[in-house]
Amino acid sequence: MDTGKTNAPLGIKDHVELFQEERYQKSFEAKRAASEMPCEEDVLKISEWTKTKEYKEKNFAREAAVINPAKACQPLGAVLCSLGFEGTLPFVHGSQGCVAYFRTYFARHFKEPIAAVSSSMTEDAAVFGGLSNMIEGLGNAYALYKPQMIAVSTTCMAEVIGDDLNAFIKNAKEQGAVPEDLPVPFAHTPSFVGSHVTGYDNMLKGILQALSEARPKGSPNGKVNIIPGFDTYPANIREVKRMLKAFGIEATILADTSDVVDSPNTGDYQLYPAGTPLEEALDAQNASATLALQRYSTLKTLEWVSQNWAQQKTLALRPIGVKGTDAFMEALSEITGKPIPEELEKERGRLLDAMTDSSAWIHGKRFAIYGDPDLVLGLTSFLMELGAEPAHVLCTNGDKEFTKEAEYLLSSNPFGASGKVYTGKDLWHLRSLLFTEPVDFFIGNAHGKYLQRDTGTPLVRIGFPIFDRHHLHRYPILGYQGALNVLTMVVNTVLDELDRKTNVPGKTDISFDLIR
Amino acid sequence: MAVPRAKELINEPSCGHKQKDKAACRKAPEPGSSSGGCAFDGATIALVPIADAAHLVHGPIACWGNAWGSRNSLSSGPSLYRTAFTTDLSENDIVMGGEEKLFRAILEIAGRYSPKALFVYLTCVPASTGEDIESVCKKASRKTGLPVIPVMAPGFVGSKVLGTRVAGDTLLRRVIGTREPKETTPFDIALIGEYNVSGELWDILPVFTKLGIRVLSKITGDGRFEEVATAHRAKLSVLICSNALINLAGGLEERYGIPFVEGSFFGLKETNGLLLRIVERLGDAALIEKTRAFTQAMTSQTLQTLEPIRKRLFGKRAVLYTGGVKSWSVISALKDLGMEVIATSTRKSTEQDIAKAKELLGDRGVLLTRASGGELLELVRTRGADMLIAGGRNQYVALKSRIPFLDVNQERMRGYAGYKGLIRLAKDVDRALANPVWRLVLEPAPWEAAVAGELAAEV
Ligand code: SF4
Ligand code: SF4
Repeated sequence: MDTGKTNAPLGIKDHVELFQEERYQKSFEAKRAASEMPCEEDVLKISEWTKTKEYKEKNFAREAAVINPAKACQPLGAVLCSLGFEGTLPFVHGSQGCVAYFRTYFARHFKEPIAAVSSSMTEDAAVFGGLSNMIEGLGNAYALYKPQMIAVSTTCMAEVIGDDLNAFIKNAKEQGAVPEDLPVPFAHTPSFVGSHVTGYDNMLKGILQALSEARPKGSPNGKVNIIPGFDTYPANIREVKRMLKAFGIEATILADTSDVVDSPNTGDYQLYPAGTPLEEALDAQNASATLALQRYSTLKTLEWVSQNWAQQKTLALRPIGVKGTDAFMEALSEITGKPIPEELEKERGRLLDAMTDSSAWIHGKRFAIYGDPDLVLGLTSFLMELGAEPAHVLCTNGDKEFTKEAEYLLSSNPFGASGKVYTGKDLWHLRSLLFTEPVDFFIGNAHGKYLQRDTGTPLVRIGFPIFDRHHLHRYPILGYQGALNVLTMVVNTVLDELDRKTNVPGKTDISFDLIR
Repeated sequence: MAVPRAKELINEPSCGHKQKDKAACRKAPEPGSSSGGCAFDGATIALVPIADAAHLVHGPIACWGNAWGSRNSLSSGPSLYRTAFTTDLSENDIVMGGEEKLFRAILEIAGRYSPKALFVYLTCVPASTGEDIESVCKKASRKTGLPVIPVMAPGFVGSKVLGTRVAGDTLLRRVIGTREPKETTPFDIALIGEYNVSGELWDILPVFTKLGIRVLSKITGDGRFEEVATAHRAKLSVLICSNALINLAGGLEERYGIPFVEGSFFGLKETNGLLLRIVERLGDAALIEKTRAFTQAMTSQTLQTLEPIRKRLFGKRAVLYTGGVKSWSVISALKDLGMEVIATSTRKSTEQDIAKAKELLGDRGVLLTRASGGELLELVRTRGADMLIAGGRNQYVALKSRIPFLDVNQERMRGYAGYKGLIRLAKDVDRALANPVWRLVLEPAPWEAAVAGELAAEV
């Protein structure tokens, strides 16, 4: 392999710098002038208009078109859930394109290869039903990828046709497409009634159900089950495992995607690099408690667990920020009777110390946030712990329950008094809000960059997907350590912005300070 | 079901695929194996670059929600095409029918964004419930006075390629010929199949300008609706790296008598060859002369610039996994850099493509029909290749396996077309190979090396 330095100056630029050059800008200018576009002035006028209150009202009256959606669909969540089990192939029953999107979507976020297949329904299947696709698909997938488990979810098309997964899978087994004893859990995941968080929930419930049917309940194993929920931060799961270890608690993570979507570079590509061992998952029903780390992506699963596993405790928590993590600590301690480990207490102390260092910069800052329900609630709560004031809390895939919880969160905290909750709204709505009622910063995923560009509001990237910054998912945002990471991102965004606003020599640089 | 045209298109006479591998267009992907994008995906790739149109996806939230904003087709002006519009069909809409909602969505968008036109994309769900979006579009068009164009490529009709084909057909039947250019010149061409990925087009346009050739109609990279609509006045159409849009080129010939040439702007040899074929078809002696001189000058200039890199790249071996025309055109470009390609894929390729690929590969080269990530890696290893050049789908598989990688497909971050593009390609290949991370990754950790040493000493 060559080792030489290679950046011989060849004078060829890529599009990032190239098209900033004057001659390109001029030629673009000329093209605009050549009548193909309304003149600059008109464009400006329109774009100014989109910043007004009047426009905002029009925008909020919009009902048929969704503009720049901020949610993904059910089977995408089901795929993430399935990936978290050892040797498990996510299999989506429906037309192929959906799955191709899911794979790219995850691959771009995690920067990892992602395996998922589809039953590739065609027009004929749309008319006659997808049974033969299911049978052939399961057979092929089993032969090609040799999974230990195939987790089946559905795209909208299969749902519209009304395919009966249970019967189809039975049929496939009877016909010998896959061995009788291969676990093939399934979940109906129609996207027109939910989002990726619902899909995660449905799939997890399907998997747990299938696995516990496969084995009768045994004697208690003294473990705690942890359900991360639709979590796209592998580092979160690692962080939680570390905390449990500090406690000395043995736990089963359902489903453990951490080493699947963030595996070490060993030089060996593996289709199934890790995941919750099926043996452990089979034993999960014998644990003493099941704790979920998100609420809205585990509603049905937890309900099912509490009805069927009869454990000491079934509970959804949200270990984001100080209070969120405290509650998690206390729950662990209560369930297991173990004291809060000193190590974690110290960590908490360091977090509080850091918060006292930075909170003056964050106190009173107004912010907007959008994303998945639990993330939005957890982060909003933590930012209020720092004295920041939520102005717009937007959750495209939030339901009535979410609205209630979010409104309660805001009204029960003086810093939340001026905040408003929006569900079912998209990023184009948020754009109007950022213009008419500006904030100091906002939290969101990669799509937020366009809002940042249009409104000039600084963006803190937390959420999913994040395609345009690297490795953020490799840092936890859960637990005390995660809170410290969030704090660091937020305060430094505020400080970066301050520098940006004070960096014109002789004009604004009076407070371009070295020490902040 | 509302998509009969897609079926016809598979049997399009100008399709370069021979009868037996029409399958490549049609072929239903194999259930249970990992598959590529759907027809809807293919249609959006081909049409969304029309920058001053609004693109509205009629379907459940995420067909577009999962895909929007993920292409790198650039626009020098309007950016409306980057805004994602969808009808977000809910359960209720599906039960009651979504036509009314679609109609209102079109009106909302037309009223608020003043697009030059609206493209409405059909997806699987409304297609399988039999919604008649063509009528909705007609009605909305009458009401708004705007062209509202239905694109009938729901995912389930087939592959990405078929979707692109439907897109071409849609342009041919519903867009091209509906506007007249302000003026024409004897050297007006239509560029077909260039999507301005990473601004690639902007490396090519200056070349045409220099030669005095006018690109009347860009289909569709950095495209504008009206400009696309005037393509019927071109003297020649130039089909770039695309089998899928050959029906469009063929259609222009059939309907308007516009001849077409095919080719690629990857590499010196192909770029020169294509430019010469274009001017020969335009048939102006002076222009031909000028182009000859130009290509010669550019060739020696480019080679001179490449000299230092070519030394380093000489004899380096690559496995190429892309599709269609690129299965051979990229080989040609890599050969310009002094590299050797030991295998290429023939997915989506025509007999012609395959023949060219064979010729360029030589006897020892391997033609891959379809390979999984694992199989590709195997090939790289057993054949001792230095790198994998492919699409984003295989990127992380390669990196996990410590194989230097370069993306040459739709998602590529930098333009590789034309003379400047070739230099950029050289630079990127060179960087991919020589990045110091590879050494680090390939060496064992020091303690492992020590253990190995001790073991050796013990023996
Ligand atoms: S539903 Fe159909 S159109 Fe939409 S992504 Fe899936 S295959 Fe493509
Ligand atoms: S059809 Fe449904 S499952 Fe497929 S991408 Fe669209 S919303 Fe998702």
